[in-house]
Amino acid sequence: MAGNFISEDERWDLVDRVSGCIVTYGIYRQSLRDVIGELTVVPLTGVPVAMAVLYAFWSIFGSFAGALMTDGFMVKLFDNYWLPWLQSVWPDPDGWLYFLFVGDPTADNCFEAFGMLTSGLFVSLGVVLWAVLIFYLMMTLLEDSGYLPRLAVLVDTLLHKIGLHGYAIVPAILGLGCNVPAVTATRILETRKQRFMMMTLLAIFIPCGAQLGVMLEVIPDSVGWVMLYLIAGFAIFGIVLDKIIPGKNPEILIDVPAYHIPDWNNVGKKLWMRTRGFLKEAVPFVMLGVLLVNLLYLGGVIQAISNFFEPLFVYWFGVPKETAGPLVAAFLRKDLAIAQLSAIPMTAYQMITSVVLISIYFPCVATFVVMLKEGWKQLLASVAVLICVVLVYGGLIHAIGILLGVA
Amino acid sequence: MAEKSKQTKKILMVGNPNVGKSALFNRLTGGEAIVSNYPGTTVDFTRGEFAVGGIFYEVTDVPGTYSLEPRDGAEEVAVSILHKEKDAIVLIVLDATRVERGLYLALEVVERGYSAIIALNMIDEAHDKEISVSASELQRLLGVPVVATSAISGEGIKDLARMTAKACKTDIARINAALEEKPDESVSTGGCGGCMGCGGCGGC
Repeated sequence: MAGNFISEDERWDLVDRVSGCIVTYGIYRQSLRDVIGELTVVPLTGVPVAMAVLYAFWSIFGSFAGALMTDGFMVKLFDNYWLPWLQSVWPDPDGWLYFLFVGDPTADNCFEAFGMLTSGLFVSLGVVLWAVLIFYLMMTLLEDSGYLPRLAVLVDTLLHKIGLHGYAIVPAILGLGCNVPAVTATRILETRKQRFMMMTLLAIFIPCGAQLGVMLEVIPDSVGWVMLYLIAGFAIFGIVLDKIIPGKNPEILIDVPAYHIPDWNNVGKKLWMRTRGFLKEAVPFVMLGVLLVNLLYLGGVIQAISNFFEPLFVYWFGVPKETAGPLVAAFLRKDLAIAQLSAIPMTAYQMITSVVLISIYFPCVATFVVMLKEGWKQLLASVAVLICVVLVYGGLIHAIGILLGVA
Repeated sequence: MAEKSKQTKKILMVGNPNVGKSALFNRLTGGEAIVSNYPGTTVDFTRGEFAVGGIFYEVTDVPGTYSLEPRDGAEEVAVSILHKEKDAIVLIVLDATRVERGLYLALEVVERGYSAIIALNMIDEAHDKEISVSASELQRLLGVPVVATSAISGEGIKDLARMTAKACKTDIARINAALEEKPDESVSTGGCGGCMGCGGCGGC
């Protein structure tokens, strides 16, 4: 077979001759989309556009998912009708079945009740469903218009400072929807170093859409602080990883496609596929998560874990020891864990610290499984990095709080 | 599905990133591959099937690659799939607005002795950009079937499905020979400028 192969130069030469015979170019006319294409990659105009796009993304996300759907409809539906009704008809408020399915008999909202049919349903269908729906709609528009590669060009210089390539922004944005496809998407990066770094950083620092949706509900006023801590952590530990991991971070050319008006059939199809995926896979997980956590409470396991880790939580991280409970749930679903935090009495800064801890602590089990698919050695290394990050960064956030006088 | 036992052929869809392989895959198989407008959307393979003329085809949507010497993780997936399926038909998808890089990959594929067929995709976009590409001339030069398609509008998809049975092998010597024998100029290059979308009529 080897005899049939030609050299790279010969092949390009042949390509030139063939394409010379078949392609004829008409007169090039600059179209509006070429102009827009140019304006969105040149830093002078591109950076403001990028900021506007990301700001719009965030504010639509917050106002649609948080304010309109969840606060406007779902909270009222669940807290005023569903919860009181369940509490009134479910027999034996002191029994363990009541505890598992309805939760706290004195709760007046579905975040704190923490039963399978109260918090389980409310978190998955009342909060997260709307968050992922609007998130996926906007992400699909970014994907289909052709804006993502342009964003990659813009952030290229910035990401090179932490040992990544501009294209790493693609898994990062996908990760804000769900970390699972984002881990697989790191394959578009060129070297093993880049892939490992991005996979690890994304599993640690990028909160998923479900988690963001619950954050908007539980800590509407301090989501910004949490995001700031996460972005800063991404940058700091990115620089550290870049220094200690051997390997190259070569420059690759980003292929920027022409802008397209999204095809609505495709947008609808993707939206439906992703939402269906959420309903089929995430909702059962949230419900089972509530069940499992409640069983662990009944068995005294979570109380034991809390007591065991009390010194670490109270003195090092500066958060109540009860935070250990949500951290157990966080392995199943991070959205659930943050919902669970809302029932623990603590100061505003402790809340910020706890939410950051839940974000950076172990990725959820689904992310874990896809990371394993990319290689068990990488997974083990990622986990080692993660444990260091949680311990160091958790302490650092506490220290910053002490310095600011808010911890 | 009853015919499945009769004859099943494997098709691998190969091409540069972001040329519309996944969109074409969905058109051919009614599948659910994620389609986006950025290179590197498909990083793993997706399978589907379609039947035409009593033959069942099992189609694999392979991640995009610029060459068969892998450069990143997704390209490694692509190359390893090609390695495993030596007898498969390779459906090479070209972006009609920039055929050069795709042709490079196409040559790499035919050099390795695969039966090939070419989809000259995004033909509508090439038209918009006033670029005209002659599918029939490409077919004559390469010696494998070439069909102009638009995965977005659905143009040429049926032709592509039908022509798959005619996928065949070619080699560099043959392509060189075809380049030497200049055909009647009027038909191949000059005269074909305006007839976009005529592809698939083919000389077969």
